[in-house]
Amino acid sequence: MRRKRGSKGILARRGRWGWAFVLPTLVLLGLFSVYPVVNAFYLSFFQKHLLSNAPPKFIGFGNYTYLFRSPTFWNSLTATAIFAGGAFAMLVGMSLLLAVLISSRQRFQRFLQLAFFSPAVVSTVVAAAIWLLIFDPRGIANQLVNALAGTPGVDHRWLVEPGRLQLATMLVYVWKYVGYFTIIFIAGIGTIPRSLYEAARVDGANAWQVFSRITFPLLRPTTLLVSVVAMIQCLRTFSTQYLFTQAGSPRSPIDVITLNVYYTAVRTFQIGRASALSIILFAIMLFLSWLQFRVARSEEVSYL
Amino acid sequence: MKRGAWVLVAVLVAGVVAVAQSPVTITFWTHEDPNRTPLEEAYIRGFQAMYPHVTIERVTYPSAKIAEVLLTAFAARRGPDIFNLEINDAYPYLELGRVAPLKPEWVCYDSVESILGAYLEGTLDAVYRDGKLYGLPLELTIWSVFVNKKYFREVGLDPDRDYPRTWEQMMAVSEQLVIRDGEILKRRGFDFRYPYYLEWLLPMVEQMGGAFLSPDGQTAIVNDDAWLHVLRFMQQWGPSGKNLGSPTYTAARKLFNYDRNEVAMCLTGFYQIARIRADNEAFYESGEWMVIPFPVFEGAVRDVAAHYYGHYYMVNAESSPETQEWAWRFIAYMLSHPEEYLLQVGLIQPRKDLLASEAYASVPYGDVFAGDMARSSLVQLHVANPEFKQLLDDAVKAVMLSGVTPEEALATLKQRANEVLEEYR
Repeated sequence: MRRKRGSKGILARRGRWGWAFVLPTLVLLGLFSVYPVVNAFYLSFFQKHLLSNAPPKFIGFGNYTYLFRSPTFWNSLTATAIFAGGAFAMLVGMSLLLAVLISSRQRFQRFLQLAFFSPAVVSTVVAAAIWLLIFDPRGIANQLVNALAGTPGVDHRWLVEPGRLQLATMLVYVWKYVGYFTIIFIAGIGTIPRSLYEAARVDGANAWQVFSRITFPLLRPTTLLVSVVAMIQCLRTFSTQYLFTQAGSPRSPIDVITLNVYYTAVRTFQIGRASALSIILFAIMLFLSWLQFRVARSEEVSYL
Repeated sequence: MKRGAWVLVAVLVAGVVAVAQSPVTITFWTHEDPNRTPLEEAYIRGFQAMYPHVTIERVTYPSAKIAEVLLTAFAARRGPDIFNLEINDAYPYLELGRVAPLKPEWVCYDSVESILGAYLEGTLDAVYRDGKLYGLPLELTIWSVFVNKKYFREVGLDPDRDYPRTWEQMMAVSEQLVIRDGEILKRRGFDFRYPYYLEWLLPMVEQMGGAFLSPDGQTAIVNDDAWLHVLRFMQQWGPSGKNLGSPTYTAARKLFNYDRNEVAMCLTGFYQIARIRADNEAFYESGEWMVIPFPVFEGAVRDVAAHYYGHYYMVNAESSPETQEWAWRFIAYMLSHPEEYLLQVGLIQPRKDLLASEAYASVPYGDVFAGDMARSSLVQLHVANPEFKQLLDDAVKAVMLSGVTPEEALATLKQRANEVLEEYR
């Protein structure tokens, strides 16, 4: 009995220490992540002018019904789906490809990792500003495409034509984040036992077979992590679209939900409606993350 | 008893002095203007030397950002004590009671009426409510067209004779001046100031008999034909039309000063003159630039120049009464140097004494700006202006860049603008 009490005491003491270590993070997370979400949820049921000191007016689901009837909201949803779908596919595909290529190299591994990762440390604002210069009618993008295609003087209207404008915003994003996800994939590849590759080689497997039968299936947990983080990141995109519209691009093709939140709050002063928009975006993120976890869980693979 | 009374008086006086001298810190947010900064920093030093208990912290933000920064600060009830914005952006602050009125004695006048009398008629209307004044003007600005004469001569035009008087001439002259590499513009003849539609696009609509708001303010987008005329003009101006300019190119006024064969004309205010001198003194001295009036459409029913706007210094209504008083005293101190603002920064305070001064008479092209001012009116003021500006931006970009027809763009603009009005009813 005494021993039991003693072990319980140790556990309790350890538990207390555990809480002590976790508490600062919990407090910060609660303050800067949970509270804003709860507050936005609460505000989404009110009509509130951002600049007015007047108390907010309760309107129930008024903001939500307004949004679901608004063509601007559906346009935003489409723009978000196009951007997130395109950027997500490019990010996950390219970072996986780059990770496999870099991992298979004997030399310059570190250099390549550093080279691809370096845009991730540049702020999104700076990244967008650099790419705005590239996509300027007199910038490198037009010069390069015209030199390759032999079409001197053609303005490919990167910042204007809806399809190219959407592609341009995706390229900025992919350039910035592909290195970050490549590093995560490289770390994932590093956890796959070498013995499996050696055995495959002994059995005469080619590079594609090694990738499709060993690397890709065993990378599933990493792929899940990358896809969840990349999807959330793509849905949260803002600065690129904001800076492009500030540089003169039309808003409609790149009016992603976050940009719409900004315009609703800052240009129309409707903070309640902007909160409703953010809650809808939050729900979309939650649903997609849940879906990815479910799909991944149903396809778990282990060779050990 | 007598001694006790004296002690009491001494304590009270000491208390009053202590209160009067209690430290006051004033935060002052304004937009970036490299020519204005040294001047106002000197005023801060001067004011702090006179009143050592006052500390002024001046913070500058880019012109394009300050409206947003201020909005979020005020929304969080953390706004600065003093700020200035373009009046159409500042108007919601006034309408929603976020700014404090001045007391005439703080700004060295004996009554509000005497302040009104010191300024050009109508120039304080925007900040006057129920016998109180909520702002004092740092500048009143109207945009006219700046011309680089060299490029006119280069294409065989005489700038003094052939400068554009109408928008149709502006398009024709720009076609002569433009240099393209295929579809890519190397030099623009002229280009607009795209995000600032209330200042220049609305006057173009008004020239054709249209308006943004009906006289009773109940309906948005008046006279479809006038709007369609202007939207068709913008469509023709853009890359899908005659390809003379586009919102995606660098703002013309930013390039004008450098005289690098990138732009021949731009739309800007009197302050540009000081900026030309600061950016490129050789060009300033060359005599190769001039200012011409804001054009009108052929067949215009009204002769309207660009709408003028003001930057008014305002004081946060949530600052303490003491801070408000010292903030207004400091504003009055800064604004008591109108000639320095005029000559060093190129800002015109609409004060009668300044406009009658020799300093004003000596400034180049003052007559052109004064002429445009005479056929102009204050920019439209409405609490929903930021949203209206956004809707105009969407409409112009739709016709210029996205292949939307002027009719479709107008229908969308009209519907949304009236929805906004409905919400504010």
